[in-house]
Amino acid sequence: MRSSGFLGGTSGRALAAFLIVIALHVVGTMLIPGYSQPFAIRALLVLASLLAIACIGQTLVVILGGIDLSIPFVIGFANVVAAQLYGEQWNFGLVCAVVGLGALLIGAFNGYVSRRLDIHPLIVTLGTGMVTQGAVLLWTAGFPSGSAPQAVSDFVSIGGSAGPLPVPWIVPAVVVLGFLVAILLARTPYGRRLYALGSNPGAAPLALIDPVAMWTITFALSAFCSAITGVLLLGFTGSAYGDVGQPYLFQTIAAVVVGGAAMVGGQGSYLGTIAGALVLTEINTLLIGLGFQPSAVQAALGVIIVLLVSLYGRERHVSKTI
Amino acid sequence: MSETPRMIIDDLALKPGSSPFSQKLQRGEIVGLAGLDGHGQQRFLETLAGLEKPPRGTVSIARNMEYVLLKGFRHGVANGIAYLPRDRRATGIFPSMSILDNFAISTVWRDTSGGIIRTARRGARFEQYRQRLAIKAPDPKAPITTLSGGNQQKVLLARALALSPEILLLNDPTRGVDVATRHVLYDVFRGVAREGMTLVILSSEIEEILLLCQRVLVFREHELAAELAGDEMSTEGVISAMFGKAA
Amino acid sequence: MGNLSSAAAGFLRSAGFAIVLFVLLLAVNLLLNPARYLPGNWGTLIGLAAPLIGASLASAPVILAGRGGIDISVGPAMGFVNAVVIQALFLNLGIASPALLIGAALLTGLAVGAINGLLATIVRIQPIVATLGTYLVLAGITLTIVPAPVGPAPAWLKAMSASWSVLPLAAILVIWLGIRRLPYYDLLMAVGSDDRAAYSAGVPVTKVRFVAYLITGLFSGIAGLMLTALIGSADPNIGANYTLIAIASVALGGVSLAGGRGGLAGAALGAIDIFLLQSVLTSFNVSTYVLQIAYGTILVAAVVLTALQEKLFNGVRAR
Repeated sequence: MRSSGFLGGTSGRALAAFLIVIALHVVGTMLIPGYSQPFAIRALLVLASLLAIACIGQTLVVILGGIDLSIPFVIGFANVVAAQLYGEQWNFGLVCAVVGLGALLIGAFNGYVSRRLDIHPLIVTLGTGMVTQGAVLLWTAGFPSGSAPQAVSDFVSIGGSAGPLPVPWIVPAVVVLGFLVAILLARTPYGRRLYALGSNPGAAPLALIDPVAMWTITFALSAFCSAITGVLLLGFTGSAYGDVGQPYLFQTIAAVVVGGAAMVGGQGSYLGTIAGALVLTEINTLLIGLGFQPSAVQAALGVIIVLLVSLYGRERHVSKTI
Repeated sequence: MSETPRMIIDDLALKPGSSPFSQKLQRGEIVGLAGLDGHGQQRFLETLAGLEKPPRGTVSIARNMEYVLLKGFRHGVANGIAYLPRDRRATGIFPSMSILDNFAISTVWRDTSGGIIRTARRGARFEQYRQRLAIKAPDPKAPITTLSGGNQQKVLLARALALSPEILLLNDPTRGVDVATRHVLYDVFRGVAREGMTLVILSSEIEEILLLCQRVLVFREHELAAELAGDEMSTEGVISAMFGKAA
Repeated sequence: MGNLSSAAAGFLRSAGFAIVLFVLLLAVNLLLNPARYLPGNWGTLIGLAAPLIGASLASAPVILAGRGGIDISVGPAMGFVNAVVIQALFLNLGIASPALLIGAALLTGLAVGAINGLLATIVRIQPIVATLGTYLVLAGITLTIVPAPVGPAPAWLKAMSASWSVLPLAAILVIWLGIRRLPYYDLLMAVGSDDRAAYSAGVPVTKVRFVAYLITGLFSGIAGLMLTALIGSADPNIGANYTLIAIASVALGGVSLAGGRGGLAGAALGAIDIFLLQSVLTSFNVSTYVLQIAYGTILVAAVVLTALQEKLFNGVRAR
């Protein structure tokens, strides 16, 4: 049986992804001078951390058996709205509360409508994403202004440091977040119900799991994590940009899958996703370092995703599902 | 034996237009449901579980000296009903999860304090049922799919019993289960009934019903065709009621 | 006949809302801009709508095949066909013959479909991930072949988005009608609605799904030609935009993303609805932002109403 094999298990897949990260890094260090310089590693960790935060929601949603295409749009929404409001001299705490609440509402709508009416979340999240982006663009007339407080910029700055650590605060923050999400998934009723619902939606209601509530909460969490990413990206790039989240549309899905989750639900781990985010960031850095054009990097990324997933993320044959 | 029934089924019709019937279920009673496939016994059991809304009539549950009307599945569970579904694969197990998780999922709050599931408490709880039901599971952390069908069924029964129900509804509980396991299950059923639990067992095997139940309700064309108890309970009696012949 | 009328009833049920939307939007369009809908302009009009309709039709077969079947590389495949036909063959090699260019476009589409089919059905990578891989590869290669928009396109090809714009759509129609007459069509729908049952009944599930990817690839090739005809040049940035909106059209047209339900007529109708919606919104001369809001709102509203209508219908039926 596949799932009992080591590479078939979720933790096996996550470990495989981490081994690939190390292998890629070794290759990079051998081929590219300066690949393992402190600054290069810091940059890599910061980029992977940003992606990892954006991926929290996608991980939860995929375990549930859904998909969230609104992530890039919510990132853009948070990025632009936070900059705009902070630029208008709002208190930054209040700004975050407004942005967070807005995101939670968008996500809750996605989850509620998809499950309650049995509409594929791909369509619902795409639609709400488009509305969100349009509304933000309308509000700012396409030219958002404003910036993030210095503290947010320092939090994600590649040159920054976290106390004695030579990395900015975002990196230890993601490590802590990783532990928290792992506990959430493994040791809370919410986490167990999430896997159960993804694993067998037909059995879940009989086991006292409310699918609509679970979907509403999970998509709301996903949008909330996207909003955090949007605000952090504001600090990272320095100025607001509505399309800043676009690369995250497919990258979050790719990271989750490379990290060992199955799109059919019931499987996956956030540890795996973090490994997946590192893999994607390593590949990107490596290929750019080797002098590839962005277009070629994109193509290579496509090939590598397919190769990795074909190594350990294959589905079962129909005959094995009967 | 106490004379206040634990569940009262009043003027219940299973389909619009089919003739209604009333029933009372007592403490410690094992009631069997029989009938040809699709003749209403399935729907009756699901109505008792709160999964189906009957077109007519009510189901009420004894609760603190009074009766509450059954409003739905969750309401039923909150008022002491547990339901074991028929199709293990489609509506029973969570295949990607461990044996422990499959056991504890309906009662997670019992293992939770401070929002965190305490694994020791969960393990101890499972151990209790593992012994009582003789579940052959060397490693409770292994996926449920590593167990045989009979042991999977025992885990699902443990999940239902963990709710500490007063009424246990069993939808063909020995379907696809080996003989040895069946006898373990029969002993468990008798044991919990002796402790006062009310059991309703739908079975496709008449012998099983005759062996376990004090009473059998035979369904035909979505109506209660016969109620047999004591000496009337025989294979011939049940079969003739199933086929609509005068018994 | 009975079969035909029950098929029509099924279409009405699943695509009912798309039909209502079509009538409404067409009426609004006619009121706002009657000149655009005169018979003399039909060629251009169809040419304008064709790439989206083509993309939607191309997306449908793999979705019908079920178990998460989806091809998000349809858009980039169209862009890739566009790049191959214009840059590689027409501009670099000077090939202008319709037979050669059309043949090349169809073969390119089929090849992409074969790769997707191989990855999704034989290697058994989850379809959305497999086609995400081809999405990135195709978009990357297209940008390498055509770093910036270049033109022109051969005159005969441009005519396919004007006076002859109905031809490529007709080609898809003929191919699909042909497929519907084959036993394959029944197998496809059986696999889409319940692959386990189909497998148990001896249907070669993997082969049926693989062929669905081939059909999607072939249609993507034709859609790529439609796109090329419309823009009259090679442009690396347009193709990919079609993917998600095409899948939205398919859903709007009543095709279940879970597979086995709906058909190509619904997919085409969904795309026409979106096209008509776009032209209504643009003719109001509002900012592109409002356009996008309206667009997203109507998309969500449409799928919500379709779902509600279906729930209601099933509820009535159960009584």
